[in-house]
Amino acid sequence: MQNQNLLEENLSREELQALKNRRTGMTVFQISWMMAFICLIIVNWQLRFSYSQWPPPGVEAMNRLIPTVGTVALLISVFFARRALNAIQEDDRRAFLTQWGAVIGLGILFMLIMVYEWIIAPMDTQYGAVFRLMTGFHGLHALAIAVYMGVVYNNARNGAYNMLDFWAIEAGVKLWYFVAFAWILFYAVLYWI
Amino acid sequence: MATISYPIGGTQGKPAKRPALAEYFRWSIDHKIIGVQYMVTSLTFFIVAGALAMFIRWELLTPELDFVSNGETYNSLFTMHGTMMIFLWIVPMFAGFGNYLVPLMLGAKDMAFPWLNALAFWMIPPAGLLMLMGYFAGPAEAGWTSYPPLSTIYSPDGQTLWILSLHLLGLSSIFGGINFIVTIKNMRPAGMGYFQMPLFVWSILATSIIVVMATPFLAGALTLLLLDRVAGTAFFDIAAGGDVLLWQNIFWFYSHPAVYIMVLPGMGILSEVLSVHSRKPIFGYRMIALSSMAIALIGFTVWAHHMFTSLNPELRIPFMVTSMIIAVPTGIKIFSWLGTVWMGKIRFTGAMQFGLGFLSLFVIGGISGVMLAAVPVDIHMHDTYFVVSHFHFVLFGGSVFAIYSGIYQWWPKITGRMLNERLATIHFWLTYIGFLGAFFPMHILGMRGMPRRVAVYDPQFQDLNAIVSVFAFILGISTFVLLYNMVVSTVNGKVAGANPYRALTLEWMTTSPPPAYNFIGEPIPYEDPYGYGTEASKEYLKAMESRFGPPPPAKPAPEAEPNAPAPAPEPAGD
Repeated sequence: MQNQNLLEENLSREELQALKNRRTGMTVFQISWMMAFICLIIVNWQLRFSYSQWPPPGVEAMNRLIPTVGTVALLISVFFARRALNAIQEDDRRAFLTQWGAVIGLGILFMLIMVYEWIIAPMDTQYGAVFRLMTGFHGLHALAIAVYMGVVYNNARNGAYNMLDFWAIEAGVKLWYFVAFAWILFYAVLYWI
Repeated sequence: MATISYPIGGTQGKPAKRPALAEYFRWSIDHKIIGVQYMVTSLTFFIVAGALAMFIRWELLTPELDFVSNGETYNSLFTMHGTMMIFLWIVPMFAGFGNYLVPLMLGAKDMAFPWLNALAFWMIPPAGLLMLMGYFAGPAEAGWTSYPPLSTIYSPDGQTLWILSLHLLGLSSIFGGINFIVTIKNMRPAGMGYFQMPLFVWSILATSIIVVMATPFLAGALTLLLLDRVAGTAFFDIAAGGDVLLWQNIFWFYSHPAVYIMVLPGMGILSEVLSVHSRKPIFGYRMIALSSMAIALIGFTVWAHHMFTSLNPELRIPFMVTSMIIAVPTGIKIFSWLGTVWMGKIRFTGAMQFGLGFLSLFVIGGISGVMLAAVPVDIHMHDTYFVVSHFHFVLFGGSVFAIYSGIYQWWPKITGRMLNERLATIHFWLTYIGFLGAFFPMHILGMRGMPRRVAVYDPQFQDLNAIVSVFAFILGISTFVLLYNMVVSTVNGKVAGANPYRALTLEWMTTSPPPAYNFIGEPIPYEDPYGYGTEASKEYLKAMESRFGPPPPAKPAPEAEPNAPAPAPEPAGD
């Protein structure tokens, strides 16, 4: 809120309009593209309910412990992402870089765990196929956004972004929220429900 | 209908400068250029897909195979016809109208994200090329709905290109939809709340909400299909534990809302056209606006009515009920439009003729839709020509008539020239008669049991099929009247002036075509976009005319008697 006042004092009308548009656009995109993830959840359910038992007989269910570690890592990274955004809004680039590095590090940990899960998932069954489909689809998004966050990190190290110019970071944070939210849904569907 | 007059024509006013032709062939972020790029690209695919329709009708002149050598070729004909008409003609054509008109109607300089807008357009030509490249790989043969196992096991490699093409088109629509929503939410001028927006903008808003919420499901379904075809998964293969109904559910969860993507903008165009050319305020503004949103919302609850014969029988009744409920907001619109036209001072311009054509044909298509929504009727008639007739009545009689109406309405704004009204009337009657002759008998064919998607049929159906084909050829020819009219108008059309129809919406309150960034100075919206016939609106139009020059005179000026002072022409029926 304080930052919003600061922006309104310092940015031109066009710049404020552009920022407002980007924020609305990001929200619409998040809602829209979340539907693709929900679509895959429905795919999972429709396949599952055509079986009397899930996973199908003879197929072992995935272990829950390892992905839980990954999920916790992802949630902690979301916390750091929020702190990083606060840091840049207070013009504290050093703190931003530390927090942002932590987000990327935890994100990589999460992705490594999911790659492991992807590899060990059972082959040649619908259970394994839909598991790979969902984790793979999510993983591609996580990877793309992690790469983007790496670019942002690099730019920030070279002196980009300040308390008036942080949209690139805000976008990264919001996309990372998106990844985390989608994962919570998938985690629940794939391992618990 | 008090007076009927012919308002169009005239030469006064300097023609505004058109953008250079080269602008249309490069990456431009001007929404007006992008809008025209959308429209011209779509029209091209309309002609290609229309030619395929002509081949289909040629084949169906006789009950045997003659035009095509085998059933597979025929399958690919109707598959490519349907897919291109839907995804490369109607959807992008309406996106083109939206792109051109929404910022203008909102008095904005451009869309919220001009660059994203250009990106969304430039995904369409490659997608179209991918679709057409199917002809080098064996084109898709599974129908535009591409049910597995037809689309997984039987269809040749063109099906894979078909999937990639649709993926691109889906992304393009999502980008476009996000852009429209943000533009409409954030960029309205001071003094224009949601309920002062033109109804076309409302319809684009409702459409965009459907686009962003439903199209990701298409992406999901296409991804599964692609994986089944190229990556060895078996999501749709019963033998490997998959589920064929999975495709039908996800596909229709997208594609039923998508039929409203294809008609809501047309309804928006109609709301503009009917009000302007009846010189009356739109009847039930709020109800029309909100019924668009209702259609968007209820549209998500009806998808399984496409699967009555494959669905779990207990689910039939709920989906029958929701499908019939859709008729309520649609009916509200129809009656509101009738109320608009009622006692109006109607001007039978090209736009108005096609608008009224839409109204009459869409009612028939809507009613046959309600018939098909009834489970017992659907079980009898599904996959017959009755269905073909139904969706051509709503997609051609509805969407395409609305597109034609929109072309006649906004061509003067886009090009600065008028289309010839005599040719417009010829075009309308050829289209209308061709359409009714081609598609009405299909109801009877369907009732008598002729299945759709067959090249070889029972000889008892030949008489009606021959009639259908002949009228379909007339319908095909009618398109060229419009194209000829466009060429004539571009070369030698009458100068339109800023506001030839004396309309009150903001896109007319600038030159035709509008300059870069649309408006010179801040545009001032009139308090009610449909307040025709009031003194205040006449004052407003007068003030605008003094800025941009008067509209063309109401009639071709009669030979003025020498020495007699010409009476000031009273603009038609305000």
